[in-house]
Amino acid sequence: MKLVWKLLRQHISIPQFLGFFFANLVGVAIILLGVQFYNDYQALDSEDSFMKADYLIVNKKIGAISSIAGKLNAFSEDEMEELKDEPFVENIGAFTPSSFNVRAWFDVDGFANFSTEMFFESVPDAFVDVKSDAWTYQEGDTDIPIILPKNYLDLYNFGYAQGKGLPKLSEGILGAMKLKIQIAGNGSVDDYDGRIVGFSSRLNTILVPEAFMRWANGRYANDNTMKEPTRLIMEVNNPTDARIASYLQERDYETDENKLDASKTTFVLRIIVSIVMVIGLVISALSFYILMLSVFLLVQKNSTKLENLLLIGYSPSKVSFPYQALTIGLNVLVLLLAVAILLVVRSIYLGLFENFFPDYEAPSILPALLVGLVLLVVVSAFNVVAVKNKVMSIWKRKS
Amino acid sequence: MDKIQLIHTLPDVFVNRNDVVSDVWNQEVTFEKGKIYLVEANSGTGKSSLCSFIYGYRHDYQGQILFDGEDVSRYTVKQWTTVRKKHLALLWQELRMFPELTAMENVDIKNKLTGFQKKKKIKEWFEMLGITEKMNTKMGLMSFGQQQRVALIRSLCQPFDFLFVDEPISHLDDTNADIMGRIMTEEAARQGAGIIATSIGKHIELDYHAVLNL
Repeated sequence: MKLVWKLLRQHISIPQFLGFFFANLVGVAIILLGVQFYNDYQALDSEDSFMKADYLIVNKKIGAISSIAGKLNAFSEDEMEELKDEPFVENIGAFTPSSFNVRAWFDVDGFANFSTEMFFESVPDAFVDVKSDAWTYQEGDTDIPIILPKNYLDLYNFGYAQGKGLPKLSEGILGAMKLKIQIAGNGSVDDYDGRIVGFSSRLNTILVPEAFMRWANGRYANDNTMKEPTRLIMEVNNPTDARIASYLQERDYETDENKLDASKTTFVLRIIVSIVMVIGLVISALSFYILMLSVFLLVQKNSTKLENLLLIGYSPSKVSFPYQALTIGLNVLVLLLAVAILLVVRSIYLGLFENFFPDYEAPSILPALLVGLVLLVVVSAFNVVAVKNKVMSIWKRKS
Repeated sequence: MDKIQLIHTLPDVFVNRNDVVSDVWNQEVTFEKGKIYLVEANSGTGKSSLCSFIYGYRHDYQGQILFDGEDVSRYTVKQWTTVRKKHLALLWQELRMFPELTAMENVDIKNKLTGFQKKKKIKEWFEMLGITEKMNTKMGLMSFGQQQRVALIRSLCQPFDFLFVDEPISHLDDTNADIMGRIMTEEAARQGAGIIATSIGKHIELDYHAVLNL
């Protein structure tokens, strides 16, 4: 085979193969980076609900008339059913407000000892973005798990504590502190312990488990009729769906604009990543074309040699092999280098991710490797078949 | 392979000619293993075509060519490769050597494929044909007569039932032609093979069983 290679490597154009090599390297590296970045980004998505695009909170606009008429800004059963039937809605849940008085204070020495009137709301557990085992309530428990909005903590840390020279609080410290809660209504007054189990970026309210809310509303509410919800949370499959905006506008509903923006960002990012990957694919396809042209040119220039080899008894497979091995070797080299580039670039952006989201855990690079391998196999298979066909055309003396 | 038969074989280009008078074209001819044939021809009577047809290199003919009774027009790529490696050896008129390789490499590229001849035997042939000192010379730098001798050695580096030599001595002096004839007949006899030589005038002196006019 050494002699055959010595013969067939004649006329190999180094510049052509280098051209292919770098073009393909760029293409494959872009594809792999696209796949990997998308994956890493998705992991970010599930890690931090701020990126999560799929939830919108809807309420009716509060105008002068509705505030006087009182109940008008609540959602009726029919309205909820109608919303649920819309194609862009996956699921909806109602915010249930508390119909009793709540007072709360921190029972810590030295801590600013103020108490405050407050309220609770609940949503179905499926919509709660803080996953905690403590998020349960059984009738008779004196501990109430509570989820606060993340921006409350920010308000305290970056506004109040900063200004007053008070220590900043982490989620962990707050979780360990006991919140004293007094609930009054329907002629009874009871004390409870509140435990902060997490901070939500999705739900901008003071949340308690729905099970507790149902029970407490039954016990402390002055009138036992369930109030109609004034806010709904809906899970949508695509928040940039234009139908959502027009639907909400038609019915005078409002939603959290920021959320819609964040979701748009996510969606736009997905599109950008897709476009970049398509560009990578195009570059790869073009470089593949260069490679095929180079190999065909090579076969053409060496056609007499190839023909003579076939005539002295070499089989078409044997004669094709050097060129097939050459292209496969190049493809493998490209993949290895592309993976190396991927690792380097990834370590840079992962560093950034971790700065912003300390809890971020990077997923494996398996998906990118798989995509790379599939590309390698497909492209190499094409190369192998194309070279063999070319050699067969010499066998049949068609060229 | 014990016999090669040509049944009314005729090159496509001759089909419309009525003046084809030949012992081979459009006849029934059988070449038998172990016998030595001379096909004499004038220029342009299709001597090289005959070699190409039998070697599966060209298929532009009418009639049939049979190897042991089997029509070769149905041969697969694999079958032809086997035929060229194990059954038919051919010394092309145009040699088909590789000018980039040395004389020895040209022989080796065939012998490594078949693994048939010993290195010692090959060197002995180089010696007999008086081209030992050319062994490591690039083929492209050698004269046609020298190349012809190397080509013969290459054609013998495989097992064969028939050896085709297409004008093997066109550029050789009588001494070298005799040596070549001796090497060919020895090797063919050793393998029990047949030889089919062609010529357009000066022919190699062998112990022919039959002479055919193309």
